[in-house]
Amino acid sequence: MDASLLTIQPASAEPIYRQIVEQLRRLIAGGQLPPGELLPSVREVAGFHAVNPMTVSRAYSLAESEGLLERLRGKGMAVAAQSKPTLNQTQRLALLEPQIVALARQARELELSAEPVLRRLDKLLKE
Amino acid sequence: MNATAQAVAVASAAPLQVRGLTHHYESKIVLDHVDLALQPGSVLGLIGRNGAGKSTLIRAMLGLLEPQSGEAFVFGEPALKLSDTTKERLGYVPQQPDALAWLTAAQMFDYLSRFYPRWDHRFVKDMLQRWEIEANKVMAKLSPGERQRVDLVRALAPQPELLVLDEPASALDPVARRELLREIALRAGEAGATVLFSTHIVSDLERVASDIAFLHDGRMLLHCPVDETKERYARLWLPANVAAAAPASPLGKRRHEDGSLSVIVECDANGAWPEASRLPGGRVDTLGLEDLFVEIAE
Repeated sequence: MDASLLTIQPASAEPIYRQIVEQLRRLIAGGQLPPGELLPSVREVAGFHAVNPMTVSRAYSLAESEGLLERLRGKGMAVAAQSKPTLNQTQRLALLEPQIVALARQARELELSAEPVLRRLDKLLKE
Repeated sequence: MNATAQAVAVASAAPLQVRGLTHHYESKIVLDHVDLALQPGSVLGLIGRNGAGKSTLIRAMLGLLEPQSGEAFVFGEPALKLSDTTKERLGYVPQQPDALAWLTAAQMFDYLSRFYPRWDHRFVKDMLQRWEIEANKVMAKLSPGERQRVDLVRALAPQPELLVLDEPASALDPVARRELLREIALRAGEAGATVLFSTHIVSDLERVASDIAFLHDGRMLLHCPVDETKERYARLWLPANVAAAAPASPLGKRRHEDGSLSVIVECDANGAWPEASRLPGGRVDTLGLEDLFVEIAE
């Protein structure tokens, strides 16, 4: 995995370490980061994105404690080999919950009903 | 205290510490009983409006200015009487370029390197080359951006344990700023250096700082880890009809033209927002640091 795969938004209200953990969680759950895949070092990620290495370190530790990552001796962090089987649909949907709630709220503010929003979403997912 | 005990105290002391710093210019209070201590290895972003007292605070912390009251310590030594050993552990880049402008960069580096046992000549050479700065041009003739980069190299070359930067990126373009942040981040992480930088560019702070200190009208309003600040504070917006039930907030409160109210609220130990956030029509929005800054500083 390359450090550039991660997107970091420093100005977001979500702390950077959390952004990293959530992205890793989604990439792993969706299968883009398979078990055993090596992660870039803390230094690489910190250097690429110009963020504090402690933040990256914290994200990696948190992901490790949640069973997403494991430390391989001599190699660094990798996606956990014996991670639970890829999440089922309900579990994956749960990961999307914050975005769905935000989308619903914004749609309501715009006084949009579900229909046009779902149509657009459907189109995007088919791309 | 005998010499050994003193040496131990100095070696293990907080890199920077101030207590009760107070200073006026004429009738204006610039620093109002400021307390601040830096943890070793932390990167503290000092933020505040222009004129809030950031540069004054930094100069008082380093002993370049004698405050009217209060005390400042660098690695446990009184800031106004720093020993040479302590000075060698410190790198400082002031906001204004300094008096050696009549030298060329090469001459200045040659001169300064003699004072610092750990001066990294290779680093100097690599940086000047990377940024294409003419080492043999009189520094007064360099552009402000080049000048700022020379100042940075000058502060970093001695490999300081404590790095203090006053508005280090103000003359740099976004690419140069990103490189600077990268350099700061990696040094803090790997060499375990402690960094204090003042800025009004909030996103720089969000990338690289571990802690944020918010100076407003000479007072330290907030001193918190960056992550915690984002998780702990939020903006509560209340429509006009319930605005009267807003919690009293020490940090920020703004009444809008239509009578609605924005208040900065803090979550409790369980992560719950205050009761007022459940009033009908109320909305809690988490904030990036820039928004928090604007809400508090208005």
